[in-house]
Amino acid sequence: MSERRPKIVGFCCEKHGMDCVTLAARSERQYDSSVRLIQVPCTGRVDGIHILEALENGADSVFVLGCLEKNCYYDTGSIEGRKRVEYVKGMLAETGIEPERVEMFNASSSMAWKFHDIVSSMKDVAERLGPIRPGGGDSE
Amino acid sequence: MKRKIQVVICRVCSQGVPVLDVDKLAKTAAEAPYVGSVVTVDYACQSKTISSIVEDAKTKEADRVLVVPCSKKDVSPSLFQAYVRRGKINEFLIETVDLTNEVILPHREDPTRAQEKAEARLAAAIARLAALEPLEKHEEPMRTKNLVVIGAGVAGLEAAQVAAGHGLHTILIEKTDRTLKAPGVLLSKSRLLRAKGHGGNFELVIEAGEKEETLECAVIVVASGGDWSQGKGSLTRSCKEAMPLFRLKDSIDSGTLPSGPVVIVDTPDPKGSTMKAQDFAWDDALDLAMIAKRASPETDVTLIFQEMRASGLSELTYKEAAQLGIRFIRYDNKSPPTIDEKDSKRLIVKDLAQDEVVSLRFSTLSYASIPANPDNIGIADALRIPISLDGGIRRGSMQRGPVTTPRPGVFVCGSAMFPKPEAVARAEGKAAGILATQFVASGTVEYGGAVAEVTPEKCSACLTCVRTCPYEAPFIGAAGKAEVRTQLCQGCGMCAGICPSKAIDIHNYTDEQLSIETEAYLRGGF
Ligand code: SF4
Ligand code: SF4
Repeated sequence: MSERRPKIVGFCCEKHGMDCVTLAARSERQYDSSVRLIQVPCTGRVDGIHILEALENGADSVFVLGCLEKNCYYDTGSIEGRKRVEYVKGMLAETGIEPERVEMFNASSSMAWKFHDIVSSMKDVAERLGPIRPGGGDSE
Repeated sequence: MKRKIQVVICRVCSQGVPVLDVDKLAKTAAEAPYVGSVVTVDYACQSKTISSIVEDAKTKEADRVLVVPCSKKDVSPSLFQAYVRRGKINEFLIETVDLTNEVILPHREDPTRAQEKAEARLAAAIARLAALEPLEKHEEPMRTKNLVVIGAGVAGLEAAQVAAGHGLHTILIEKTDRTLKAPGVLLSKSRLLRAKGHGGNFELVIEAGEKEETLECAVIVVASGGDWSQGKGSLTRSCKEAMPLFRLKDSIDSGTLPSGPVVIVDTPDPKGSTMKAQDFAWDDALDLAMIAKRASPETDVTLIFQEMRASGLSELTYKEAAQLGIRFIRYDNKSPPTIDEKDSKRLIVKDLAQDEVVSLRFSTLSYASIPANPDNIGIADALRIPISLDGGIRRGSMQRGPVTTPRPGVFVCGSAMFPKPEAVARAEGKAAGILATQFVASGTVEYGGAVAEVTPEKCSACLTCVRTCPYEAPFIGAAGKAEVRTQLCQGCGMCAGICPSKAIDIHNYTDEQLSIETEAYLRGGF
């Protein structure tokens, strides 16, 4: 049997976020295939519910990737996106789930290296924390 | 609603350097719910192939299509056109999956897992597509082909000339009564008071001389200009020789920079809170600091700042500057740099990083600052476009283009954003003129499609969406519930993400559609 693989979900905006993904693909470098991307028009579209649902459906870690805050296609979208992520982090902490499972990132369409870094940091989190255990991570 | 999906997999594109097993992929797709047919083709973009796959869609009575091409951006538009025109498929029910960039390239060294991911990706896309609804776009004719240019400076004149050359009727609004040679109409001693409408059909109220005039136009170029600040602030008041960056540049260029230490502060008013330098000023400050240092490596060059805003590539410049030996000192406006009372050639500042007070001797003191044209505030307010801290018109995302504002149909060029050399202002004016021409070319405004819609029964009129939307699309209507001005909605979905009552949703990115996709994707192998 192969060891358990981490499950990472990324909510990615269709603008700079996906551009960053495309650029990463063309950079010749490989990244871990445990990452599953869901495209949204803008990270401001992401609601806490979407992140929680991804965790509920088995994701070990979830990230949201949007435009740089000063250069967001929808002006304030990625600032809104970050607020939602912060909110979810707070909620997770209250329920005893490690808030670092959820993270917000920003990238521009020229940052080829960024996506690899995001995947490897979210993979580290997923591997370190493993699957979410009901009742919180520390209690068992 | 009928749901019958045709999946088109392009062999050439999907196989990459044989990473994926396309037949297996096709089999997985065929077994997915709602899939009526799967066709694998070579070169999905060839016109012969297009005809045959559209024919297949028709005979199999598909109402939605999933195309798996090389890359989302590379699909031939004629493929979509054929589906819409000949296949009678709603344009919002044609989706693409970019396996090349999402799976093949980044995972080609591990074909087994790549295959697994590709199948999961396809299953998720099929689940999403099955959940989508057909949408309509609407068209509204533009009532005029007028371009209003605000400001008849270098950039504004250039924009007007270019657009007039392409047949637009140009109206220049100029606050002075300078005599100018300008195309179209020139309204002297006039300014913009108010604006209504949206890109394609604006209605402006202009104060021209003594009277108010109403003006219709399709597109607007803001070229209100601006200038380098001559710097009013605590620093410039106490040191008369302090010079703005552009003057520092002049003296470096002309070789008249006095020898001795150079100190650059981020603002002429370090005590104030609003006059921090804009990002570009940081680029300039860094560049100039490096030029000064390179010109004479033994000279001490120090940059004093509250917040380093060197982003993107300027981060590399920042690093390079540090390597060159430029000193950086961070302060905050509670303990701002001040001129030493006993020695007017010394600056005293508390270095936050070292937590110590330093006294710097300087020969040259310069500051970054760009408070722009004060009229910008009124212009931005009337047009509902954002303005930077320093009072410049703020452009939209660079992805939309360097002379666009976040608002469709409103462009900005020249020093209205921040001070620029004449050549740059002219080039930007030209760009704005061309974009304005392009904007009105079709003569119609397209709107609708994947935009926001309110379910009135759920809306509690909390105003959250009204406050959040950057485009001012939602408003509280006569019924006391939120409504969306579809012409203004850009479909970002921010309102849907934030509505506390879940009353507003965005077509084809609804909560339900997103959770169907997430669930399907996570069900697949990892
Ligand atoms: S945020 Fe939601 S509940 Fe509040 S006004 Fe808008 S649609 Fe209505
Ligand atoms: S989708 Fe975006 S543009 Fe449209 S109403 Fe909502 S926030 Fe405004």
